[in-house]
Amino acid sequence: MKKWLNWFRLARLENDLDRELSYHVERRVQDLVDAGASAAEARRQATLELGGLTQVREEVRDVWLTRWLRDFFYDLRFSARTFRRNPAFTTTVVLSLALGIGAATAIYSLVDQVVLHALPVRDPQRLVLVDWNGDQVASGFGSWNLMSYPICRDLQQQGRFFEGVFCRAEARINLSVGGEQVPAAAEIVSGSYFAVLGVGPALGRVLGEEDDRAPGSSPVVVLSYDFWKTQLGGSADVLGRKLLINQHPMTVVGVAAPEFRGIDVGAVPSLWIPASMSAAAIPRFEEQLDRRKRWMQVLARLQPGVSLIEARTGLQPWFKAMLQEDLRRAGFPAITAERRQRFLASTLELTPAPQGHSSLRRRMAQPLWVLFAATGVLLALACLNVAGLFLARGAARGREIVTRLALGASRGRIGRQLIADSVLLAVAGGALGVAAAPLAVRALIAFLPGDVAPNALQSTVDSRMLAFALLASVAAGLMSGVVPAIRAGRGVLSVLSQRGAGFSGGVRLRKAIVTLQIAFSLILVIAAALFVRTLTGLLARGPGFETTRLISFTLDPVRNGYNPMETSRLIRRVYEELQAPGIAESTGVTRFALLTGGSWNDPFTIQTNERTTTDHDINVNAISPGFLATLGVRVVAGRDFDAHDSRPPGQSGRRSALVNEAFVQHYLRGRNPLGVRIGEGSGPDAVADVEVVGVVTNFSYRGMREKAEMVLFPMFEGDDGGGTFYLRVRQTPEAAYSSIRAAVRKADPALPILSFRTVDEQVARSLTNERLLAALSTAFGGLALLLSLVGLYGVMSFVASQRTPEIGIRLALGATRSDALWLVLRDALLMIGAGAVIALPVVEALGRLVESLLFGVTPADPATIAMATLAMVLAAVCASYIPARRAAMANPVDALRFD
Amino acid sequence: MFVPSPRFPIPQGTLDMLILQILSLEPAHGYGIAQRLEQISRSVVQINQGSLYPALHRLEQRGWLAAEWKQSETGREAKFYSLTSSGREQLAAEKDSWRRLAGAVQLIFDEGSQA
Repeated sequence: MKKWLNWFRLARLENDLDRELSYHVERRVQDLVDAGASAAEARRQATLELGGLTQVREEVRDVWLTRWLRDFFYDLRFSARTFRRNPAFTTTVVLSLALGIGAATAIYSLVDQVVLHALPVRDPQRLVLVDWNGDQVASGFGSWNLMSYPICRDLQQQGRFFEGVFCRAEARINLSVGGEQVPAAAEIVSGSYFAVLGVGPALGRVLGEEDDRAPGSSPVVVLSYDFWKTQLGGSADVLGRKLLINQHPMTVVGVAAPEFRGIDVGAVPSLWIPASMSAAAIPRFEEQLDRRKRWMQVLARLQPGVSLIEARTGLQPWFKAMLQEDLRRAGFPAITAERRQRFLASTLELTPAPQGHSSLRRRMAQPLWVLFAATGVLLALACLNVAGLFLARGAARGREIVTRLALGASRGRIGRQLIADSVLLAVAGGALGVAAAPLAVRALIAFLPGDVAPNALQSTVDSRMLAFALLASVAAGLMSGVVPAIRAGRGVLSVLSQRGAGFSGGVRLRKAIVTLQIAFSLILVIAAALFVRTLTGLLARGPGFETTRLISFTLDPVRNGYNPMETSRLIRRVYEELQAPGIAESTGVTRFALLTGGSWNDPFTIQTNERTTTDHDINVNAISPGFLATLGVRVVAGRDFDAHDSRPPGQSGRRSALVNEAFVQHYLRGRNPLGVRIGEGSGPDAVADVEVVGVVTNFSYRGMREKAEMVLFPMFEGDDGGGTFYLRVRQTPEAAYSSIRAAVRKADPALPILSFRTVDEQVARSLTNERLLAALSTAFGGLALLLSLVGLYGVMSFVASQRTPEIGIRLALGATRSDALWLVLRDALLMIGAGAVIALPVVEALGRLVESLLFGVTPADPATIAMATLAMVLAAVCASYIPARRAAMANPVDALRFD
Repeated sequence: MFVPSPRFPIPQGTLDMLILQILSLEPAHGYGIAQRLEQISRSVVQINQGSLYPALHRLEQRGWLAAEWKQSETGREAKFYSLTSSGREQLAAEKDSWRRLAGAVQLIFDEGSQA
């Protein structure tokens, strides 16, 4: 490695060596002259003894820098000189490659951070996610891969396979560090969490088994390093301080290691709470020890030497026995025989989890891979473009190369020179790409919706990103340099034989390259068209209600210590305050916010002439009077809720429900839905006694794609856990915010207003993936189109100028201009056609991979493909028309005089 | 007819050791080392002077020699080489392995003569 540095001080080394050798020679000459030799004779002998000065110099140079390395540096220097003389060519090539490498590097950085990067914990490769495959006969809340806390405890006994097991759940808490309440992200973890991960404290201690003995026993928290630094100023006296978490005082016992940010790259917790305190972290949650409540992810560390397969197989006997035991356990719900079957057929699934568990990864992995593949295609396209340019330049350099060959350079040596050319340019392009990539990554991260829990994504250049960029650059350099290099070696004979004509420029090869380019860009253009149609389709369809001037915010009083009854009262109070004139045209409340990805859902029992149960969970929500009117959801049969539908506090049992059209269509087809009785649950003990009083139009609940069956109950029933308000306003959201703030303050000055935003914004957030894919695929498609058109234009210009004499002859013999035009254009159309023929089967094959990302359009949608192909063909014809016309318009006389 | 030369060519790798040995006595410039080598070679071994400079630069690159420009005995500036501490260790190591090699070879010869 040190040798490389010698390259930069070569001039000084040479100078020193010259002095050193001349000193030697002169001393020797002096000695010989003193001994009686003539000056000339002495000089001859002195050099002879050394075996020739040039020879010595060359050998010493080999010491400084290994021969091949030196040659390579000379090649690079020669390349750099040539490129300085050719700024237009150099700029085009470097920019093409910078574009390709920059885009690939930026997306790779996200793929790496979201999908690939292992957690900064001890030996992450041995971490596995434990999941229940089958029906748990349990109700749940949270994201994915949920299990109960007691199962985690059971698994901890399986020491034969696991070195340790922990469980965790995300929680949003109201946190007060001394003053105002702010929403914050927390991770509820079993006592084994830090020990199994191998994460230590930066200060104080981390949570341990002693914090997780019995519910409510250990009101302590560990802070994340970032939270400690940014929110508490990194003060050393933080240990022992009391924080209010949802009004529960908890003591800070430590700060976790700086590099550790939890196990979810998409949701970084501010603090960790032991599972024993989950009732404090999740209001009204008393089911920590309930085996039929799934709410935590379970992860485990495999014993050294135990493979994942061995652990999975080895655990099944225990698991099956546990299922049987569960069935006999007191409190196991009454279920149908069929469901019992499904329960008993469950298996335990283990998957590698060196990257931890992340909802963000689950949502983003597929779109990111698709985008990464797209940048790969784009980079390949850029390389093809550069290869084309090199071929064209190779044609111009033909004479130089022939001369060098004639002077005795080997073909390998010249090929190496050409490779050095392209590698140098690719590395320059790569450097530019890496410089630009962080900006792109920052923009992409900003695309992701922010939440209470920030994500851990960063836009800094790290070593993995650099390694990728370097790899991509060298690969790009080789890819774009190899073909021209091989050609250069072969073209020699043809040059020598057809004097003056120069290289043919490898026209056939260049045509092949352009054909491939057209194929690649057509693939990207079709992909862009599909993703844009998905997004516009979803936006045009809308969520099933009017979003203009609609704003929403959430209140979560239970986290401020309200009980259910008080919560209901508070929500109703704020609802009534907001009815005051001048605030909003209309206001409505719903138990759960729309378009956030989550929903309340349950199976239902339906009582008509016969009793049936739904075949899957039905979305459920509770709404206030005026909610439907505020959103503009129509009641198509029966009536909306009125004040009489909410049961008075203290009474139990719901009285009425609304269902949507999808529910009627699916379960009450051909019946009058009004008066039908339904009930939550599908077991034999479920009671269907709630009357359907109306039918509403379908609208989206979880996300924009879905308008599934839905049941709506009335709000204000005395057991509400909170609510999201929807207001149709006249003024700006900012102006509305201050009146809302005032109304909420009147009800409770300490209550934070959460997730205040316009519904349009919420729509945009819920379409993050779709927007990301549409925006980036359009950008990539556009760039690809541009690159291939440049390539096409270049080749067509060459072809046209080559055929100008022929065209001249034809024109002189009476061919029309349009004949001549056609002659050249035919070549272009052939390439375009061949490109399409290559691209379309590939699109067909790749379509399956993106099918789940599309909406309202199939990957093989003929209209979309036809439109994209047509656009591509038109653009390509335009690009080749210009050189073709130039050739056709040539004066026959000039054309014939061409050579 | 083959007439064996009284001087035999220097074994591979020995030149480096000789240079280190010469410089272990005192710093010297290239020509000085060449003269010392010449004295040795006149009596015993044959050294190609051309390989001296590559060897010096190789040893310098490895950090066994340090070099500086100083006034020589003729008053002109010359590049003087001196042994670094790692060069001294290297010389000791090479001497040691040489001694062991020579000893081993001698042992084999002795055995041969007994047989």
